[in-house]
Amino acid sequence: MENNPIHKIPVWPRALVISIVALIVILGVILVIRLAGPANVATPAQRTDALANSSDACVTCHRNSSPGIVQQFGHSSMAGAKVGCKDCHEVKANTPGASEHEGTYVLASPTTAMCQRCHPVEVAQYNSSRHGLPAWVAIVGSKDLSPALMQVYKSIPEGQFAPDKQRNVIAAMEGPEITRFACDTCHSVGKPAPDGSVGRCQVCHQRHEFSLEQARKPETCNACHIGPDHPQWEIYQESAHGIAYQTGGQNWNWTAPAGTLTVKDFPAPTCATCHFSGFGGAATTHKVGERLTWYLFSSVSERRPAWQDNLVRMQTVCLQCHNKTFLDDFYAGADNATLKVNSWVTESDQILQPLKDQKLLSDQPFVDSVQFDQYELWHHYGRTAKFGTWMQGPDYTQWHGAYEVIKRLAELRQTVSDRLKAAGK
Amino acid sequence: MVPLAEIFSQVRRVRIPFSRDQVMLLLAAFNLIVLGVDTFLAHDINGAIRGYEWIPILFAPAAGILLLAAGLVAQRKRVLANIIATLIFLACMINAVLGSYFHLYRGLLPDAPAGQGLTPLLLIYTPPLFSPATFALVGILIFSAAWEEVPVGSGILHLPAGRWGPGASLKMPYPKTQAYFLMTGLFILATVVSSVLDHARTNFANPWLWLPTAVGLFATFVCVVMGAFSNPTRGDLITFFVSMILMILVGLIGAYFHLERNLTEQGIFLDERFLRGAPMLAPLLFANMGLLGLIVLLDPQPASSR
Repeated sequence: MENNPIHKIPVWPRALVISIVALIVILGVILVIRLAGPANVATPAQRTDALANSSDACVTCHRNSSPGIVQQFGHSSMAGAKVGCKDCHEVKANTPGASEHEGTYVLASPTTAMCQRCHPVEVAQYNSSRHGLPAWVAIVGSKDLSPALMQVYKSIPEGQFAPDKQRNVIAAMEGPEITRFACDTCHSVGKPAPDGSVGRCQVCHQRHEFSLEQARKPETCNACHIGPDHPQWEIYQESAHGIAYQTGGQNWNWTAPAGTLTVKDFPAPTCATCHFSGFGGAATTHKVGERLTWYLFSSVSERRPAWQDNLVRMQTVCLQCHNKTFLDDFYAGADNATLKVNSWVTESDQILQPLKDQKLLSDQPFVDSVQFDQYELWHHYGRTAKFGTWMQGPDYTQWHGAYEVIKRLAELRQTVSDRLKAAGK
Repeated sequence: MVPLAEIFSQVRRVRIPFSRDQVMLLLAAFNLIVLGVDTFLAHDINGAIRGYEWIPILFAPAAGILLLAAGLVAQRKRVLANIIATLIFLACMINAVLGSYFHLYRGLLPDAPAGQGLTPLLLIYTPPLFSPATFALVGILIFSAAWEEVPVGSGILHLPAGRWGPGASLKMPYPKTQAYFLMTGLFILATVVSSVLDHARTNFANPWLWLPTAVGLFATFVCVVMGAFSNPTRGDLITFFVSMILMILVGLIGAYFHLERNLTEQGIFLDERFLRGAPMLAPLLFANMGLLGLIVLLDPQPASSR
């Protein structure tokens, strides 16, 4: 028996054989399913109407009275997460701004106090940013701020620096009949609410779909960052980044989870990528100025507090595509261009000074055409030149920016000279 | 029979100070503590942990520490230790059921059109369904390890009598070692399914993602087959041993890849990416399961008869 050659044949372990066969079968089935089935992209799931068969009282009623918002909300990730209408809209009777509605009290437009119950970090960052109180104070001034809000305002970098109070004078001149449809539309992003909270998340995260894709796309920022005074949208379109977006953006991963973005998701940046997104080594932020080195919005730009930290944050994003040598060279050049525009704006002040000295120019803003001319020089063209430089839009740096500045400097010189001569000075 | 000694005869000369069940309980305690950390990290992604979400976060490490304490008093108060372990098992099961319910409910769209209330895509993007079930796995492990099998191989589990209460016995359908093989197989399957659901978010674009899937499925089959055999051969045991070593390697390789993914191209450490990106502890679950499988191969003699 022991000499039987059969006993010398190696025996395959049963566990090994059965397991390998089972593995091959299972992997084969998976392969067939994957080849025959659709890819697991997120988009179709997000298009499911989570409220299609809802019997919720709010949904049922508003499906008739305002079906658009129900339709939008049904497709939102918030509805998918079982956030109901009441979670954001229903408040206590004594909540400032609350109105009675169908036996309860609601806020027609929920404030950030409601948003921060689930998104505390985002709201805190937002409230300490340029999109918070400084945006609103820019058009209405700070006199109506409560002591608590004034304290918040002063703690924000853009609240510490008040380069020019002329901006809100224009809003006062136009009056609420106009500003409601003009300045307020954008600047209300930092408007205080009756309940003491600040801002409106829905300016960027549009109701009622609250789509990640919508907030990440530059068209959202285009709503405000456009036009002669800050043509960031136009500059972006002209830039290499914008061209990449326009020609290939349809293939980018717009629904990638926040805080994990890489160049694989976004091969080129949008506004959100540079200023907000967790991208590469940069953490997600709702503090829009956190990666900026200059107060470019002001007439004569100054460095921001802790601008070196901001520079590192922004360059961390840039480094995903550009090398450090390129960035250092670019930043040095853009710093010089910013200083150059500063010198022109300073020069415009010097040009007007003789008129002020001779009492030929009012102390009050915007009563003389020459004041409008100088305002446009820095507020429109000076800023456009700076934004064009930093966002790499050469046509805006040149023809819509620097050229217009030096042209208006020449016009200012001529105007001042003519007026002095006319006054016999 | 000491299964490991069937593979490596030298093992017979090695005497470890703990029984197999005690090592299992140590592993379970360690798992509970890590589970608490992992649950905290997973729930802290948006910076707003809800009140009820603190239950598993606090329960897990507390149960882990309590289990360690039970292990310390087990020599003198074995019955008390067993009762503590059994209570932890029950609490783990409650956590698992409630957690799974909350996670599943979060993924369900009860008011969606017919057929769209729970789609595979919703399962992929919902809070991980199998994460709370980990409590059940650990709980079952604790229960199995806390109740001694006497005699070994009989499938009869005993909770000794004492002043804390009357004793109890259970006749299980399989001997403990076979049951451990089957349990390990089911645990590995849960790990694989969880990993597949996570990796499906990337549509398996990276071919490396097939490694844990294939190895995990293979290890599952090996465990289940081993559980089905009452008389595994040395070859079967070697197959099992190798598959568990592969699981450990897959876990370590996965942890490296997840780390690399979260470090960004420039190798920058950013806590947000570790919170929201590739979960660091998840691949180590493979290694954990491999370790569990290796423990099954230890001497099955209970502590009371050593």
